Amino acid sequence: MEIQLQDQNGAAENLKRQLALAVKSIQWSYAIFWSISSRQPGVLEWGEGYYNGDIKTRKTIQAGELSVDQLGLQRSEQLRELYESLSAAESNPQAKRPSAALSPEDLTDTEWYFLVCMSFVFNIGQGLPGRSLAKNQAIWLCNAHQADSKVFTRSLLAKSADIQTVFCFPYLGGIVELGVTELVSEDRNLIQHIKTNFLDNPNAVISKIPNYVSNNPRNDKDFMCANPVKDILEADFSPLIECENVQVSSPKSSSNGFESNQPGEESFMIEAINGEASQVQSWQFMDDEISNCIHNSMNSSDCISQTYANPKRMVPPLYDEKVNNNFLHDLHECNQKKLDSFDFKSDDVHYQNVLSTLLKSSHQLILGPHCRKNNMESSFVNWKKERSVVFQKPRCATSQRVLKKVLFEVTKMHGDLIPESSKENGKKESIWRPEADEIDRNHVMAERKRREKLHERFTLLGSLVPSSGKVDKVSILDDTIEYLKELERRVEELESQKEVGELEGRTRRRPQQEGTERISDSYGSNRTANNNNRKSLINKRKASDVEEMEHETECCMMIGGESSSEDVTVSVIDKNVLIEINCPWKESVLLEIMEGLTDLNLESQAVQSSNTDGILSLTIKCKFKGSRIASASMIRQALQRIVRKS
Amino acid sequence: MDNSSQEPLLRSENSVTYDCPYPIYSMAFSSSAASLPRRRPIAVGSFIEELNNRVDILSFDEETLSVKPIPGLSFDHPYPPTKLMFHPKPAASLIKATDLLASSGDYLRLWEVRDSSIEPVITLNNSKTSEFCAPLTSFDWNDVEPRRIGTSSIDTTCTIWDIEKGVVETQLIAHDKEVYDIAWGEAGVFASVSADGSVRIFDLRDKEHSTIIYESPQPDTPLLRLAWNKQDLRYMATILMDSNKVVVLDIRSPTMPVAELERHQASVNAIAWAPQSARHICSGGDDGQALIWELPTVAGPNGIDPMSMYSAGSEINQLQWSAAQPDWIAIAFSNKLQLLRV
Repeated sequence: MEIQLQDQNGAAENLKRQLALAVKSIQWSYAIFWSISSRQPGVLEWGEGYYNGDIKTRKTIQAGELSVDQLGLQRSEQLRELYESLSAAESNPQAKRPSAALSPEDLTDTEWYFLVCMSFVFNIGQGLPGRSLAKNQAIWLCNAHQADSKVFTRSLLAKSADIQTVFCFPYLGGIVELGVTELVSEDRNLIQHIKTNFLDNPNAVISKIPNYVSNNPRNDKDFMCANPVKDILEADFSPLIECENVQVSSPKSSSNGFESNQPGEESFMIEAINGEASQVQSWQFMDDEISNCIHNSMNSSDCISQTYANPKRMVPPLYDEKVNNNFLHDLHECNQKKLDSFDFKSDDVHYQNVLSTLLKSSHQLILGPHCRKNNMESSFVNWKKERSVVFQKPRCATSQRVLKKVLFEVTKMHGDLIPESSKENGKKESIWRPEADEIDRNHVMAERKRREKLHERFTLLGSLVPSSGKVDKVSILDDTIEYLKELERRVEELESQKEVGELEGRTRRRPQQEGTERISDSYGSNRTANNNNRKSLINKRKASDVEEMEHETECCMMIGGESSSEDVTVSVIDKNVLIEINCPWKESVLLEIMEGLTDLNLESQAVQSSNTDGILSLTIKCKFKGSRIASASMIRQALQRIVRKS
Repeated sequence: MDNSSQEPLLRSENSVTYDCPYPIYSMAFSSSAASLPRRRPIAVGSFIEELNNRVDILSFDEETLSVKPIPGLSFDHPYPPTKLMFHPKPAASLIKATDLLASSGDYLRLWEVRDSSIEPVITLNNSKTSEFCAPLTSFDWNDVEPRRIGTSSIDTTCTIWDIEKGVVETQLIAHDKEVYDIAWGEAGVFASVSADGSVRIFDLRDKEHSTIIYESPQPDTPLLRLAWNKQDLRYMATILMDSNKVVVLDIRSPTMPVAELERHQASVNAIAWAPQSARHICSGGDDGQALIWELPTVAGPNGIDPMSMYSAGSEINQLQWSAAQPDWIAIAFSNKLQLLRV
């Protein structure tokens, strides 16, 4: 026993070789040895594995020197290294991921499967290995990729890797699992072949001959025949294990530690306490019990050496009740994650972490002031409840002041854009409409108002300028431009005439004119004075000026006469305008006329109206506010439009 | 603040403060990693309630820990920008070797940020009939499909722009009330929050329907901001009006938030998911604190505590987590821009 303990590393190495031989002899994809966790009794975890499947990228380090077998072992080791580096990065995000020979991108799906298997643990009685161990019998699973996740927790993972056949059998207190991407029907002989020839064969185990593996004949029969223990072991492997048989049949007392210990282990498992068990075994069991009460988010990679240091670990049946239903669930969920990439909800932090690291290779956030480089301290300090008591009240009473301003007030800087959404309730479903105008009711409303205003102003502008007949907006603008030019020309003309006039009557006219302007600003109250001024002003004017005015008045009256149903007469003398309208009486026509006058910049001073037999007779005396902007004909046109419209 | 004695130390080693001549609201990190590794542009937009706002491009030097304005890189933006954002994938941008900046406000505008000048590229107006466009509360640039920008407006609609063609790809009535924020999930999936108190998800492949995944507990409590976890699209976070909560939603379990982070002592103003981790989010609030949270897999009975905190001493109005330099978070309070090492 002591010798064996000292030779544990060698044993682990041997186990790996055994697995390699076994899986290669039948050309399956992988072999895994699940061993009882040293940290958590009653749980099976990754012990050793050999990968024999497809390889995508082979990164070789001194590859040339290695034999095929060494390459195979190396690949398995590299996968293990990759897993450890990934989980190291997970558990300690500060540490940069140790450089591994492989990166996740180099792996085939099957290799991924193999790698992710390393993160799994199984309670006794759960999962394929767990049940195999609990029943202490081999389980053969066909169509593993379609299996229910309760039967085979890794079924979804297997699906992604196309693993179709898996079988497990107990061995050395743990479970050996083999899997292949083909569908292989159950074959007990195959299991026995593996067990007898590779795992239990002392020659295979202790072989130090380097080319032993390559010399290993593929012919199963050779081995089976050559092995004298075959029959006994076959009995050992029958579904219902007879412990006595095993013990009795244990023929080996050779240097093969595994072999000699196996019977003791099994008997322990079944009888709970085996008096024959070595002291070492008992001691280990106690040790396990003491050191493993809490499921810690463990780093499974740490456990390997320990696991292998104790190849004779007992299975404490007492821990069976520790079965955790969530566990299965978690694993199942984790598997899904691999496929769906977003679908796990797990209570198990460990698994989530491992898998998120492995599968998503997401970079962990490097946070917290601890474990930082000296000069790279975080601005953030660890959150403490007490600290939060120190709280500065916001300076202003309103919370979210700026945010609210940005969202509620600033958006209204456009002016009359108050959304009318508050009026609307009900409709929860969004409505899809491609047309911008239809889409936004509020927007449309605001827009409509705006267009109405524009239209109104254009109508007014059109009424102010002599129309060329067309009423579209462009024509109105064209007319306006023309009219403005005309006005400018006339202003120039008048000013030049005025200058002539001023030369003659400067001394008297200047103050009077100024007086007129002043008075005209104060509107109706000084009307009499105004009129007086006007008269005097007219009197002082040159005859030609007066004639022009009178001519214009006549013109207007003449034009007014043309209309039969309504006649509008406008006479303009300086800033004073006399308007006479006869038209059919309609509701609000008077009001509209007054509004029209206001729009024309006219201030009404006296209004006389009478309504006889539905004919409205209206006489308005009014006056330009400020400068004279419209000619008599324009005023008339505008009024006619109003009268006709209404 | 209680740790004022530490401040000089903190300042010098793990944070940088820049004083602007104006109050700041909008702010954006450039995701450009190309030409100027040491001169990371940061855009800041003023917040003045008049029509004399501006946007400045600052450069942040991680090694010397300095923030300086870049001469010439500044432009007038009369209307206060409600959001600024650089092109999420500058290499794939329309114009090579320059960075594109988008701003929202009265319109969605694109600006070409050159080495020493900024040129307006396009002003995007979604109204076919006039120069008038309903004001925009926010926008988001689709990082999977960078020709797409989605804008949210007070007119209850969201507009999806094809900025390469400069046309409206689609416009839809997203909510019953003003839409306050929009966030892309995938190339054709976005979510929005509104004054109607709901978070809705839209899929451009099926425009007839939207999915309400959350409604604020008190009816019609407006939801103001929305952040979609780009590392794990199952999660998004939103904030409510006058609330100290950050509500974390899982799109698979509508209506029930998976977590409510309520350790702020006043209302929350801004949230940002960690650009490199699926489980971390940072929030800033009126209590002047920036809190970094790690979402646990299972919430304890007493709620979730943040991992770490930073006290700014004044209401934090804006918070951005740099995608190009995930070690840095920028916060804006009053007229200060502060960069904090995480």
